[in-house]
Amino acid sequence: MATSVRERILEATYVCVARYGMGKTTVEDAARQARMSRATLYRYFPGGKDQLLAETVGWEATRFFQRLAAAVAATPDFATMLEEALIFAHRAIEQHEVLQKVLQTEPERLLPLLTVESDRILAFIQSFLEPLVARERLAEGLTAPRAAQHLARMLLSYTAAQGRWDLADRAQVAQIVRQELLAGILRQP
Amino acid sequence: MPVAVTVPVLELGLGTQEQRIIDAALACIGRWGTAKTTLDDVARQARCSRATVYRLFPGGKEALLDAVARTELARFFGALSRRLATAVTPEDVFVAGMTEAGRRIRDHQGLQFLLAHEPGVILPRLAFARADEVLRHASAFAAPYLERWMAADDARRAAEFATRLTLSYSICPSSEVDLTDEESVRALVRTFVLPALGPSSDPERGPRP
Repeated sequence: MATSVRERILEATYVCVARYGMGKTTVEDAARQARMSRATLYRYFPGGKDQLLAETVGWEATRFFQRLAAAVAATPDFATMLEEALIFAHRAIEQHEVLQKVLQTEPERLLPLLTVESDRILAFIQSFLEPLVARERLAEGLTAPRAAQHLARMLLSYTAAQGRWDLADRAQVAQIVRQELLAGILRQP
Repeated sequence: MPVAVTVPVLELGLGTQEQRIIDAALACIGRWGTAKTTLDDVARQARCSRATVYRLFPGGKEALLDAVARTELARFFGALSRRLATAVTPEDVFVAGMTEAGRRIRDHQGLQFLLAHEPGVILPRLAFARADEVLRHASAFAAPYLERWMAADDARRAAEFATRLTLSYSICPSSEVDLTDEESVRALVRTFVLPALGPSSDPERGPRP
């Protein structure tokens, strides 16, 4: 499968971040890892290291949610899909070695980039959910975009911090989905 | 009907000089952030000497910034508690709490400066593992105001749910929901929060004895 030059650079940067951290990764390192010259790299990322790191965070975040979307593709109904999404996302974040390492050692570098990304992440989750939401019987007066946005925000919230819940416990996740996530969304029978 | 609730924040009881220095530091942060604020700036703003700042905050800038954070949190929850005490329905508790929080977050110059220009200073205190602490603290604070209408555990759960919404719209604002506008928040609460209340709650009924 052909990967674009851009993609190769982002992947190389990601490898460097995993190895050296965000602060210590240089454009030089990324170029060497991608087996290209610094000049080529700057042609694609004229903003240098800052742009490279910001776009690498966005790239990995997008990949994360693509993996999530694939993981829930085969679920039988909407509520089950949401349960699987929460369980998968929670586990994937806990087991994401690069994310966890950077959160431990240089949160001050990662979190501002992730927060800038969060609008785009929200929009991505919302656009994924919208056609699925539209198939459900929604509560009176609620539109599919509005419902999908609310769900996207809540999914992101539980994924980032489980709070009082244990998202490894399927029964608790089912309770979150039925009692909190879908409560205002589905029309009561 | 007033409700007696212990506010789980420090009662600060600070001397006026100390308080003036903390307020001066806060004004400096709102103007140019934490990195560029020096103890000289703070002393000048507070109209006292550098020596006085050091005497009251022997830990220097770090200690002063911690004191600012503690003071601001105490003010935030103090204001929320005054607002929540006047609520007469569960809906009011959510609307008043979320609106007050939304306005205080939006109008806080220091916080907004940090979010815009020094996110690396503020976000590590609010995200991922630290977000769990924020959720725990905020829901422990808000739950007692809801317990008049529902069981303690349902109150905790509902308070955490509302906190999540408040944080989400504060961090990623939306064109459809304005957290600082009471009617907008009321619509949000009616659509998504009230239907999520636990089985023990009955907003139609009067407060529990």
